[in-house]
Amino acid sequence: MGIASQIGYNVLHMEKKSSERAYFTLLELNTVIKSAIGDIFPEPCWVAAEIAELKCNQKGHCYLELIEKEGERAAAQIKATIWAYEYRKLGHKFEKAAGQALKAGMRVLLFVDVTFHEVYGLSLNIKDIDPAYTMGEMAKKKKEVIDRLRKEGIMELNKSLPLPLVPQRAAVISSRTAAGYGDFFQQLDNNPYGYKFSHVLFPAIMQGQEAERSLICALDEIRKKKELFDVIVIIRGGGSVIDLNCFDGYEIASHAARFPLPVITGIGHEKDDTVVDMVAHTKLKTPTAVAEFLISGLRSYEERVMDVFDRLRRRAERMLKDERHKFDSLTRSASYIPLRISAVHMNRLSVIHSDLESRASRRLVREEHRTAAIEQAIKHLDPANVLKRGYSITRHKGKVLRSAASLKKWAVIETKLLNGEITSIVQDRKEAVKSEQGKTDILLPGLE
Amino acid sequence: MSKGKQISYSRALSELEKIIGEIESEETDLDLLSEKVKRAAQLIKYCRTRLRSTEDEVKKALSEIGEEAESAGTSEEESNGY
Repeated sequence: MGIASQIGYNVLHMEKKSSERAYFTLLELNTVIKSAIGDIFPEPCWVAAEIAELKCNQKGHCYLELIEKEGERAAAQIKATIWAYEYRKLGHKFEKAAGQALKAGMRVLLFVDVTFHEVYGLSLNIKDIDPAYTMGEMAKKKKEVIDRLRKEGIMELNKSLPLPLVPQRAAVISSRTAAGYGDFFQQLDNNPYGYKFSHVLFPAIMQGQEAERSLICALDEIRKKKELFDVIVIIRGGGSVIDLNCFDGYEIASHAARFPLPVITGIGHEKDDTVVDMVAHTKLKTPTAVAEFLISGLRSYEERVMDVFDRLRRRAERMLKDERHKFDSLTRSASYIPLRISAVHMNRLSVIHSDLESRASRRLVREEHRTAAIEQAIKHLDPANVLKRGYSITRHKGKVLRSAASLKKWAVIETKLLNGEITSIVQDRKEAVKSEQGKTDILLPGLE
Repeated sequence: MSKGKQISYSRALSELEKIIGEIESEETDLDLLSEKVKRAAQLIKYCRTRLRSTEDEVKKALSEIGEEAESAGTSEEESNGY
């Protein structure tokens, strides 16, 4: 009643009710409240709060639940609205400046009209939003997360894992519909070296309120089968303005940092790195860059293998060449040995050799002459040739006669002439004088 | 190398490097050399082939996981444009 009189309200009903008790109707009450609030907040004012909930309806109106927490408990809470007309303008402006859309969990500085509607009650009608405040708050929050990770000593944990020698099996956390995911596996599968990768998608929500929980779920899923993978790849399609806040949360960063496999990120952004990027083993700008990175891992392994191959081939070739040389020089030196041992002797030998040669040739000439002479002699010695010249051969009982001494009177002798033979009977014989025997018996050419 | 009993990439590489080390440093005789070269060639071929093929068993296991993960993730994925 006091308030009512203070605000000068004419409270008729309070005097006339049968119950004898003064009261407002609800409308009266709410009208009083509305009027009072209008008096207290004649102009809009700035208020800092956290968005607990945000929903847009089909008409494009945006309804928020603002909250101020003390720890995890709500210390203050109020509804807020951005009318469709304002939201189209404000939402766009905010997103452009802050790099992300308004969403739950975000701390905001709002320019509001405090309004009271008789039916809908107290609400803040949002006229403007200061993105700089939100950005500052986010940076502060991010710094707190980083500080906490540092304090826990896990900031560098994933980086300390050795990169797999051959990152051929990748567990991919992304969204199937993400352009970046398509870029990633196309790049990977169409690599110019013909390498084959095993990459399995573990789908996750990559933006918004549910993203962090969804990312953690995907990590847990992969952890169960970690021996089937060499690396984890977290990728997201690049876009104009995208919300990266989910990669700055403590929970997801902590999970990524502690993961037993190297985490490679390609979240696709140009601004500051997210906390997940910071704890990741390897941070790359785009999904395509991640694919290139994996391909280069296989390439580098193959190069090491091929280096061994080249060295092996060179070595084997050299060894074979060496062996061949060794063999060649061995056979060569083997033939040199007598020469080396006795160059003098060899000299002499060569003299002898040439001497021998000349002698031999002389001898040969001589022998040739001799052969010719002998041939001649033989020719001459042929009985036929002897007969030709008028000599004859006389035999007695098949034996060639050289002396008349053994013949008796009436002995039958046969004489062979060049042409034909004759048989004669010995009538007389004379023995030649001994000294003359040789002359008659030995017929040599040239004696004629 | 039989399926499922493949030697790891790191073992293949270290064996290769051991072989080349021996061949480069020691006096390897020709008979042993050809044996080692043969083994190295086999390893090199194995590595290069493996880089260009996915192991059937792993592939199968992976695709199963993929399906599981997919069926678990489809509902969540619908609203997700990124």
